[in-house]
Amino acid sequence: MQGLLGKLATEIVMAEPGSDNGMLPILDFVSKLRDESAGHPEAANFHLAAKDMADGMMAIVEALRLFTAEDLDYLGKTLAQLNELAAKPDAPYVPIKQGGTPAAPQIKPADGDKTPPADAEGEPALLLNLESDAELLREFINESQEHLDNIEQGVLVLEDNPADADTLNSIFRAFHTFKGGAGFLNLVPIKELAHQLESLLDMARQHKLEITSPIIELILQGGDTLKRFIGEIEPQVSGKKPVEAIVIPTSVLKNKVKAVIEGGPVAAENAVQPVQKGEPAPAAAKEEGAVTKTVVKQSGGAVVKVDTQKLDAVVDMVGELVIAESLVMQDPSIRNLESRQLLRNLAQLRRITNELQRVAMSMRMVPVRATFQKMTRIVRDLAVKLGKEAQLTMSGEDTELDRTIVEEISDPLMHMIRNAVDHGIEMPDARKQAGKSGQGTIHLQAFHEGGNIVIQIKDDGAGLNKERIRARAVEKGLVSSEETLTDQEIYLQIFAPGFSTATVVTDVSGRGVGMDVVRRNIEKLRGKVEIESELGKGSTFSIYLPLTLAIIEGLIVKVGEERYIIPTLTIRESFRPTAGMISTVHERGEMVNVRGRLIPLLRLHEFFGVTPKTTEATDSIVVVVESGRECRCVLVDQLVGKQEVVIKSLGETFKANRALAGAAILGDGRVGLILDSSTLVKLKADKHLTV
Amino acid sequence: MSEQQSATVPASPQKALAGKYLTFLLGKESYGIGVLRVREIIRMQETTSIPQLPPFVKGVINLRGKVIPVIDLRVKFNLPQVEVTERTCIVVVQVNMGGGKSAWMGLVVDAVEEVAQIGQGEIEDTPDFGMKLSTNYILGMAKIKGVVKTLLDIDQVVAAETIELISQALPA
Repeated sequence: MQGLLGKLATEIVMAEPGSDNGMLPILDFVSKLRDESAGHPEAANFHLAAKDMADGMMAIVEALRLFTAEDLDYLGKTLAQLNELAAKPDAPYVPIKQGGTPAAPQIKPADGDKTPPADAEGEPALLLNLESDAELLREFINESQEHLDNIEQGVLVLEDNPADADTLNSIFRAFHTFKGGAGFLNLVPIKELAHQLESLLDMARQHKLEITSPIIELILQGGDTLKRFIGEIEPQVSGKKPVEAIVIPTSVLKNKVKAVIEGGPVAAENAVQPVQKGEPAPAAAKEEGAVTKTVVKQSGGAVVKVDTQKLDAVVDMVGELVIAESLVMQDPSIRNLESRQLLRNLAQLRRITNELQRVAMSMRMVPVRATFQKMTRIVRDLAVKLGKEAQLTMSGEDTELDRTIVEEISDPLMHMIRNAVDHGIEMPDARKQAGKSGQGTIHLQAFHEGGNIVIQIKDDGAGLNKERIRARAVEKGLVSSEETLTDQEIYLQIFAPGFSTATVVTDVSGRGVGMDVVRRNIEKLRGKVEIESELGKGSTFSIYLPLTLAIIEGLIVKVGEERYIIPTLTIRESFRPTAGMISTVHERGEMVNVRGRLIPLLRLHEFFGVTPKTTEATDSIVVVVESGRECRCVLVDQLVGKQEVVIKSLGETFKANRALAGAAILGDGRVGLILDSSTLVKLKADKHLTV
Repeated sequence: MSEQQSATVPASPQKALAGKYLTFLLGKESYGIGVLRVREIIRMQETTSIPQLPPFVKGVINLRGKVIPVIDLRVKFNLPQVEVTERTCIVVVQVNMGGGKSAWMGLVVDAVEEVAQIGQGEIEDTPDFGMKLSTNYILGMAKIKGVVKTLLDIDQVVAAETIELISQALPA
């Protein structure tokens, strides 16, 4: 303590009016003195003095001004007093009046909600200096995202387990880094807010403050406010918005946090009661189980950020390597060589290229963990808002998916989770009446199935009401009342545009816009949704997604000399038609009778203007492709085989050609065109004849 | 593909035409394109034709994992078709697509000649051919050692018109 006092004295002596040199070190030393003296009854007076001095110092720092002569006078006097109290702990403590500083430290916890003085002067505005800091700001934003996620995740862990030291540390560190970065870039409001929150966490970390739900709320609010700052800064840095001052109110929150820090135990105790009185036992039990409970894990290992273009280039090159390799292997002059050594070496080469290809493909893959964890917050907030009790459990967070898919799936998933809480989970009373526990559970899991990734959202809520959905669909004219529909078909009606069985439209859901968008987004990712549900027991939504957007399995077909690729997922069947199966309508459109269902026929060679081997349908193959509820028979010369292909964009030049979904490099190094089934299906039946 | 190739390329030269040009042959005629636009020269290879495109778009090829379109300059300039020879090759150029985007395209030529330094004094303005010949894609005419070379504005040759034609040719 003497050492600290010495350092403090040096700083105060060095400080000059009209400069801010030493301001932060002084604050730091005083705060340390205050914290270290806390809890020592014999140094109670010293602690009080240190605390007042820290407050006074904080007020100076907060006011964002330079030292004045009065400040230094005040600091000098308080320092003398501290020294005296350190030498004679029993000496009486007489608070020294601080001259010329705003009355900020007088705010008591109770005043927290009222408008603090800082508000009257207006919030400190934040102006970016893009000229000199653009690059640093970009980095700051990137890193902030991670810190914000850490904070949010950590807080959610704290809710279950308020004493988790690792989590407290991780949140503390996140705020601390935030403060450091913001300080460096001179983002004053951010720095100050982060500083307050950091102090709050620091107290909790040192067991001087108990984490209670109001405090958690406070930390969350802090995280959200920081997020808003980042959200405002980002478009300015990236040039999407003009540079202008950013004003986001922070002082109310800052003062609340300060009140908690100062009022410490009092505020905390008051807040604790409602939470802990109700169920002291479970709270204790939770702490017991803390060790086994999942805590935000820091993913191990160093990480390098790489431009996705470079990754794509690597994938391209590896693809070429594989092709070149197979060209070499199949070269007749090599195949005729009977060298064991050569064969062994070639086999080794193949192993290496295969491994290389696997690694290259996996580079774009990221675990779904981050996306899943975002949902925890949504469930929590929404449940509180709706007065429901709900928890989110999850499994398979380590399942890896293509980065693009992970990003794109976030929104639809959020919608479905919201729906699950809003429509799925019932009110606690209703649940108890139905013999279920008052707290609803939503289980989110990801796993592999076949070549797909499945993301499943399972709730133990009310389940889907088939009759109601059907009635609603008929009412909306989506289906006719006579139509026989499978359960699956009925359930899928909830994805129709404008469909909603919710009786009340809330701001959460019920407008029937969401699910429609959900389905479109998932289809854009070449995925599909399936629903299982049992009335009263709950529903399960399964989203089937491809592992990656970069590869599809395709059926290679040949028309004349050209090869085309049709995505296997969209193919229903293929067969050689007999003469009786084909009929003409009005001598224009041809139809194929596929087991009683008439499906329009599209002759690919006519549509694409290539010369086929034969125009006789009975010598050709019909491939039935489907998209949505529509089908089309596509006439091709022959089937070549099934193959996984890497999708390449055809680029700007051909983007207007909607019949092509892209191109792929085939085994011989040549380009094959991938057909877009959804366009093929929608072509006018007689288009190729009338045009 | 366009994302990968959004790197900036030098803008079409307006006045200062002097510089290095890659010259190539189409029949007996010699043409030049700014060397900064040329990415590489590869030998002729099989193309995959894309349906419903104007005839001068020969198709697409696989350039080390990238799919790029190939333009047949003979068709584009209304010259008679000839057999592919040993000397036939594809000049891969980077083309400004407007809006800050650029793309790679291949140009089929009969033979590549050389890279020549052409001074401002050797370049003459495009002569007026009357209405019959559109000259908007010709930068100027250069005379080197008595041979006249037509300097092409590659953006005009392939980009603008081609894109327009391609989109027109496609079914709505």
